[in-house]
Amino acid sequence: MSINQNENNLEKKKPSGWHIVSSYVVQNWWVYLAALLLIMVSSKLAVKIPQLIGRFTDQLQHGTLEVQQAAHFAETIMLISFFRVTTVWLGRIIINGHGRILVYQLRKQLLKKWSTLSPSYYQGHSVGDLLSHALSDVEVVRQFASMGISQSINGLSMLTAALYMMAVHMNWHLALAGLGPLIAIPILVGYFGPKIKNQSMHYQSALGSMAQLVEEVIGGIRVVKAFGNEAVTLHRFEEKVEKIVHEKVKFVRLSSLFGSLLPFLSSIGSIVVLSYGGYLTINHTITLGDFAAFFLYLAQLRQPLEQLGQTLNVVQRAAGSLNRISGLLSVVPDVVDDPDAKKEHRVIGNIKVKNLTFRYPGTEKNVLENISFEVEKGKTIGIVGALGSGKSTLTNLLLRLYNPPKGTIFIDGVDILKIPLENLRHGIAYVPQSGFLFSEKILDNIGFSDNSPDLEKAEKAAQSAVVYDNIVEFPDGFNTEIGERGVRLSGGQKQRVAIARMLYKNAPIHILDDSLSAVDTKTERALLHNLRHNSSVKLNSLRRKTTLIISHRLSAVRHADEILVLADGTVSERGTHSHLIHSGGLYSRLWIMQSGTEEEQKVVGVDGNVRYSEPDLSEERNGLPLSLEGEPA
Amino acid sequence: MTQKAKSGLLILLPYLAKYRLRVVLIFAFVIIASSIDQAQPYIIKNIIDNHISVPHPDIRGIFRISMGYLGLVLFSFGLTYYQDVLLQFTGQSIVREIRTDLFRHIQNLSLKYFDQNSSGRIITNVVSDTEALNNFFTDFLTNTIRGIFSLVLIVFFMLKLNQTVALYCFLMVPLILGASLIIRRGIQKVNQEMRTRLSAAISFLAENLSGMAIVQIFNQELKQQKEFDQRNKLLLQSTILENRLNLLFFLVTEFLGDAGVAGLVWFGGGAVIRGSISFGVLFAFTVYMRRFFQPINNITQQLNVLQSTIVSSERIRKTFKEHPDIRELPSAVSPSVIGRVAFKNVTFAYRAGQNVLKNINLEIKPGERVGFVGATGAGKTSLMNLLARFYDVNGGVLEIDGQDIKNYSLESIRGSVGIVQQDVTLFSGSVLDNIRFFRKEIPEIHVVEACRLVGADGFIRRLPQGYHTVLSERGSTLSSGERQLLSFARVMVFDPKILILDEATASLDSISEAVLQEAITKVSYGRTLLVIAHRLSTVQQMDYIVVLDHGRIVESGSHEELLRHDGFYQRLHESGILLEGVAV
Repeated sequence: MSINQNENNLEKKKPSGWHIVSSYVVQNWWVYLAALLLIMVSSKLAVKIPQLIGRFTDQLQHGTLEVQQAAHFAETIMLISFFRVTTVWLGRIIINGHGRILVYQLRKQLLKKWSTLSPSYYQGHSVGDLLSHALSDVEVVRQFASMGISQSINGLSMLTAALYMMAVHMNWHLALAGLGPLIAIPILVGYFGPKIKNQSMHYQSALGSMAQLVEEVIGGIRVVKAFGNEAVTLHRFEEKVEKIVHEKVKFVRLSSLFGSLLPFLSSIGSIVVLSYGGYLTINHTITLGDFAAFFLYLAQLRQPLEQLGQTLNVVQRAAGSLNRISGLLSVVPDVVDDPDAKKEHRVIGNIKVKNLTFRYPGTEKNVLENISFEVEKGKTIGIVGALGSGKSTLTNLLLRLYNPPKGTIFIDGVDILKIPLENLRHGIAYVPQSGFLFSEKILDNIGFSDNSPDLEKAEKAAQSAVVYDNIVEFPDGFNTEIGERGVRLSGGQKQRVAIARMLYKNAPIHILDDSLSAVDTKTERALLHNLRHNSSVKLNSLRRKTTLIISHRLSAVRHADEILVLADGTVSERGTHSHLIHSGGLYSRLWIMQSGTEEEQKVVGVDGNVRYSEPDLSEERNGLPLSLEGEPA
Repeated sequence: MTQKAKSGLLILLPYLAKYRLRVVLIFAFVIIASSIDQAQPYIIKNIIDNHISVPHPDIRGIFRISMGYLGLVLFSFGLTYYQDVLLQFTGQSIVREIRTDLFRHIQNLSLKYFDQNSSGRIITNVVSDTEALNNFFTDFLTNTIRGIFSLVLIVFFMLKLNQTVALYCFLMVPLILGASLIIRRGIQKVNQEMRTRLSAAISFLAENLSGMAIVQIFNQELKQQKEFDQRNKLLLQSTILENRLNLLFFLVTEFLGDAGVAGLVWFGGGAVIRGSISFGVLFAFTVYMRRFFQPINNITQQLNVLQSTIVSSERIRKTFKEHPDIRELPSAVSPSVIGRVAFKNVTFAYRAGQNVLKNINLEIKPGERVGFVGATGAGKTSLMNLLARFYDVNGGVLEIDGQDIKNYSLESIRGSVGIVQQDVTLFSGSVLDNIRFFRKEIPEIHVVEACRLVGADGFIRRLPQGYHTVLSERGSTLSSGERQLLSFARVMVFDPKILILDEATASLDSISEAVLQEAITKVSYGRTLLVIAHRLSTVQQMDYIVVLDHGRIVESGSHEELLRHDGFYQRLHESGILLEGVAV
């Protein structure tokens, strides 16, 4: 399945996100129905209280009220209040709780989906962007699915109930006149909300831009000081701060206007009731009790109406977020098992690459051109070349992080496109350039391929990777946490732990992608020696691994059975180290640059003795890494 | 609140004093607006008692009062708006000044401060701590001032209506306050837990997304999903709990409000029957009773803001108390520098007692080119740090052109000593601005010249907008060679007499290094050049080489001399450490 096809699919069905919420509600319809009923009951009870006070007022005015009855009124109010509060609480926690469960499920589904997507996807989507989906978009969905639903139900049912009481039991003219200004509240909230939100984002981004400047200046403080550039930097900082003030003032103008409009509107409502209601009371169209109850209704409705307005904003924002999430969940992974993949195929370790030409999807230039090589089980191949020569692409294809063209890469004679991903990756252990590690215990990192890592095995792997001594020096040894919360490893230590992780996996194929770049020369030698011989420890089996070493440092590959020199995606030279050294090509030039000077090159020539293979031999003889003094001149 | 914490808030005082007139004005506005707002129930009471519940109801009176009140409400609307804008503007002005002062102060601190404090901490200080002060104005002050005045006015009107009933009503206060504080504290705790769990879940997600290839290569998708599920579930639990508590708080206050009204109905009703109060008074009390909660609520909500303000302002105060170690002498001079450097018996330690440089004696003539080699920690970079006067020597004298470095102004030192480091620092902005370091007074032609000199002009012109290309993510799209060329060009624009290259080519591949070698040869003409390098090809071109070990100079001489000498340099050379670069 090609990427283009996927894009077409996405074009065809523009996912609308509402179904995420609607199908969830339908699935849990009885829960939502129960919550709806509870909230309706609560509203019905809530509007009873002003009515009771109205009746109490009337009896009081007519002098027909006994002290006993007053107590009875009070009791009823308490009772009703208790039930209305309990029912609305239950209704809302049911809805809000389910909204949160939905969000939990969405997060889970997102990670599940992301786990199936290949690096080509992550190249086009930054981790930061994806995380913001998991954070802010999901957060918006939460607001919509919990607060949005419960507040709109509550607001609407309160409005209906109060309007019913006011219009039917009292006077509908006054009801309309008094509620008129309040009805404007949700409209105002709906109008101002997005504007305020928008302006608040401007403010936040001004703040972010200042933070960025501070970060850059603090990070580069040496440079700032070295150039005596403090005054210029301060001036730039002042500009950023000025911008913040500017955006904030704009924000405040909006939010203050909005903030003072709300109480203003409810005051207007009160004034209408006061004058028109007063007039009706004097006319005896309504009773004094009705008059009093009207005020209480106005007070009661203000908050639900404000919330109704907020819901409008949430709905607006939710539309975008839901669409984005639904889009994410419907991405089709581009690297998947072939339908007729050979399920039972287990990797043994023979690699064959035949006429491989590859370009990354969506690009124009071939990264690899017509590459062919073969590695028999147990042999080592070295691949060297400058940055951008295509070395890492080769690994990406071998691991099927990207799909190679059909019939170009074979493992044990089987096209890797026909090998199930799980089996393929089971058969390959890999060390990335960065030595990427997780913020977990060192043991968990080394035993990453295992559900419950074995300490003994991890120790052996660490010994082979020449990182054991470093690890045991940490406070908690193999149980030391790595990263933010624990110890920070140096670049070289990270790479060696990542190599231990590879060794722990004990797969038939080893791939090291420039994994020794931060390891010093001495350790590198010891490590390479261990890799070659699987010697200093016996990890499960003595069987030698098929090994692919990619490096820009030649010292890492010089023992390989064959070395490929890549330049601009093609193999420019190939052969063993000594062969390449003598051929006078790019490899030998690189070797001179990396190891010394022209002068020494002459020495080699004069002696007629390949100076650089000498340490080689001695190392082979001793089977030991060279010590500082031990190297013969 | 401890004595120490309180003193943090004191840093606000001088700034507030500057704006005291405005502050007084704001207070006055708040009082007026709240008075108008809180007078409403009292006015309704008057209408009921004096115009409705009387033998001869007076509709004109009602209208008159209504219209009067409408006028007041309009006035209060304008006033509230204006007062809010004024308050926020004042707050922002203060925060702006604090931010600028703080940034200036931090920038002038010596490198020692930046060694001891993580950049994250410093950034938090300038960005978030000052933002917390901003919240202090926008949230805390607004809400507390308004809340307190409203409360005072409600109490005032209640007492004015009827003292006995008012006193009974006040019995509710400890109840409301108690419930408020207890539930709020619970909410705060849950909130904290929720945030911790959220960040745990998100950072797990972040890490797994950036390491997704590793997860997939190791076939660990399911294990990682399971692990995420645990965090996700914990997060779910605390969000549900948080929501329940928040709703509980809201509903408890509702219920207490109803209870207050019920109490009024019971006792107040009796009082009306007995004729000790009028119905209007009872009605006004019912409304005030409901209004009582909001200010209390608002104020308790602001306690968190106050707390974080205290913490933040204390941190800001601490930063202000830091003083730069490196100070200019009042008599500092800025002569033009020729480039002679002399270390005379120099001793230096970052931490007392741990000397990283011991009795260094070294003379470098103007225009000389000196290479420095030695293992990591031998003291090479420290030597350069002293020359740029990032730190001061602990013993001995460091001289430029025969004058103690301390007699120069900082500006003159940093104008004459240029450094190129291994890690290139680029800033968000155009290539042009990066090279001239945002100094607009340096003409573009100057920059182009410098770039031609170092050989950067070619690749810059190939960028989409040439010199005006804006570097995304601080130049991460450029190769390390290109970045290093930019930093060379930057140094050249400032034309330093003494040029330090601190492992400037260490992180480059062999081909980029060759390009830079050429640049170095070109730019070193007419300058004193100090080069720290691991690669033999770089140092052996120098006039002479200084070998450092454990803070001492152990050897010096030309490449050939040193090789013949069969000493430390020769051993370094043989071991391969000097050849290939990376030492531990």
